[in-house]
Amino acid sequence: MKKVFYTIITACLFLIAGTTVKAQCNAEQYTNACIPKLASGFNFLKSYKIDGQGGSKTKVEYSYVFTKGTQYMINVCATGESTDGIIVSLFDSNRNQVASSKFNGQFLSAIAYPCNTTGIYYIQYTFDNSTQFCGGSALGFKR
Amino acid sequence: MRKLSLILAVLFFACNSGKKPDEQAFLESLDSTKVEGPAISEEAISSIIQQIPSPLEISVLLKESGTKYDKSFLNSADNISKYNSNYRKSLNLGIYGTDLGYTNIYEQNQDGLDYMAAIKELADGLSIGQFFDIETIGRLATNSKNLDSLLLITTQNFNNINHYLQEQNRANLSVLLLAGGWLEAMHITCQVAKKNPDNKELRDTIGEQKIILENIVLLLSFYKDVDQNMASLLNEMQKLQSEYEKIQIVKTYKESTFEVVDGVMVIKDNSTSEIKITNENVQNITNIISSIRKSVIS
Repeated sequence: MKKVFYTIITACLFLIAGTTVKAQCNAEQYTNACIPKLASGFNFLKSYKIDGQGGSKTKVEYSYVFTKGTQYMINVCATGESTDGIIVSLFDSNRNQVASSKFNGQFLSAIAYPCNTTGIYYIQYTFDNSTQFCGGSALGFKR
Repeated sequence: MRKLSLILAVLFFACNSGKKPDEQAFLESLDSTKVEGPAISEEAISSIIQQIPSPLEISVLLKESGTKYDKSFLNSADNISKYNSNYRKSLNLGIYGTDLGYTNIYEQNQDGLDYMAAIKELADGLSIGQFFDIETIGRLATNSKNLDSLLLITTQNFNNINHYLQEQNRANLSVLLLAGGWLEAMHITCQVAKKNPDNKELRDTIGEQKIILENIVLLLSFYKDVDQNMASLLNEMQKLQSEYEKIQIVKTYKESTFEVVDGVMVIKDNSTSEIKITNENVQNITNIISSIRKSVIS
């Protein structure tokens, strides 16, 4: 009887351990750090978790309707001051690339987009030699 | 032996689900907050939900355009006693959320506190009151210098509620929350446009909501077979959509250019969009919006 009890307890511990492995990327800490880093005058709109699941996911994508006449800013936060190879790219509703935060081999931490065309935009995060595959991002706006 | 098996079964269930049995029972006991389930996955619904912009953007536009604060546009916080079902609570939580954002943007903090109290009450009724720390928000609201923090906290709260509802498989309430918020933002914009018929920016803002309305109609359609209230709201929104069919959004694509300023990639959008909307369209939209809103708030 004791054997059955211990087997089940062990199984439970494995399940808990499995959950812990999956929850390794605490993206929320990065989103929280990113919100105050929006440039002055920008109002916070949304935060996005970037969880590359240890490298098994090559991209993380969100979408949002941007409005003509509004300026948007999207920033990226990861471990330390760097973006840890996380690149944010913006695509319009026809999947034309509008912008990317990787420029001349440099990983910029933010993109600013004064929108001239109302529509659905795709905010895509990819990883380039990332060590953690984990980060956060914030979207802000101003008129 | 049977007792031990039962203990082990409960223990195993608790480990496996990651939730305490009493928490699980509580979540399951929530009445109509859980509908039978739409025909589409919750994940797909969540990805559409996240596209819908915050009504705060419209409030900022109204203030920037020089429009004065007008409390009469808003739904009175005293109406709260009328909202006694989860359907009405969720829709009006969205409406009050927009009203709160509007008061915040115009620094009408005393009015904001009334909406905050109503929001807290509705949220409690939907078992999501934990997202509102009235004491902190009240402290921030008493001083207009705290406006940024107040906006940040209230925006975060509504974002968190939406995430939470989707995680709890209660995305139907999230859809209603967003639909209510959008409806109120539209109502305020239409009322302001009525007073300023020559303001092109306001007309364009009303016209470009065609894109958002498409999303809202799509979201409501997922629930039409499982929730009669949502089916009825969908029917009303489809009448609005018929009017929107007359509006054209013409886009011209041109590759964007950019420059790096202080470590930030600054884009120059060379594409354009033009909204083709007449004053008659605006008037018809205003009438339909007023009618839908009236049925929701009264």
